[in-house]
Amino acid sequence: MKLRNFSRPFIPVFALICRLTLAIIFLYAGIEKLINPGDFAVAIYNYRLLPDYAINFVAVLLPWLEVIIAISLISATNTRGAALLSALLFLTFATALTINLMRGLDISCGCFGASSGNINWSYLVRDFSLFCISVFVMIYDRGWRYFFV
Amino acid sequence: MTKNNLSQKLYSSFREVIIILAIALFIAIVSNSIISDNTPLFGFSSAALIKEQQAKIPSITLSEAYDLYLKKKVIFIDARDPYSFEEGHIVDAINIYPDDVSLHTQNLKVKANQGFIFVTYCDGPQCPLSKETAHALILRGIATVKVLVNGWSLWLNAGYPVSKGKK
Repeated sequence: MKLRNFSRPFIPVFALICRLTLAIIFLYAGIEKLINPGDFAVAIYNYRLLPDYAINFVAVLLPWLEVIIAISLISATNTRGAALLSALLFLTFATALTINLMRGLDISCGCFGASSGNINWSYLVRDFSLFCISVFVMIYDRGWRYFFV
Repeated sequence: MTKNNLSQKLYSSFREVIIILAIALFIAIVSNSIISDNTPLFGFSSAALIKEQQAKIPSITLSEAYDLYLKKKVIFIDARDPYSFEEGHIVDAINIYPDDVSLHTQNLKVKANQGFIFVTYCDGPQCPLSKETAHALILRGIATVKVLVNGWSLWLNAGYPVSKGKK
């Protein structure tokens, strides 16, 4: 396998960097949450958006979903689906954050398990940036094969 | 991009989403069921959690509260209903029912930054309102909150200063 000779490699290379960045973020976030699902369930509850019966289910499912998205992004299998899911997740997180910032609640973000800081407006900017990166990956990423002949 | 091409891409994206969701769901349920300390999938109890969180809120004794009052370092928060508050309350207390905490948060944060301690109270040893108001304050980032259990009766019986009417 040989590296391709590109005439204009900027967008594919940038998309690759974005894809791997997203993957690392999801992998870290997923593993941190998997370590202590009980604490993550409490973090979800603190957002006061889900009914009791859905909280543990989301606390068990979401970390694995993040890990699978990370694996998909790293291996570039189902990339577009993973990027779409990533965009939807960041949109959901941003909505939940906005609602609670408007409510004035001072709660743990829960973004990276128990080690997360309390919510503030900068987290919303971060989520929106990651949403944009996800959309960029969904549209422009070409997978690993593109870089090799 | 042709219309057909776009719809094909959308279709494949949604198919990939379903595949990822299905894999994550399968692994999540299987891994959760095989670990010994597993999480009950639909067994979260917010009532138990709130009780646990409220139990962690520190309480204060009557003499400690009065001492803070003399030093002018305390703001009393009466968590009872407005009618009971009007009939009588600790002097200079503010009436904040648990549901109304968000309306007062900004002012209280300013006071908290000035070094004031907040003491919530209601009436009767089993009264939950003082803990509920204290919990709601802590959730909004006001950390210096203590509960004076059965506060109104204790304060009144001790003959400490009280006042009447709205505030």
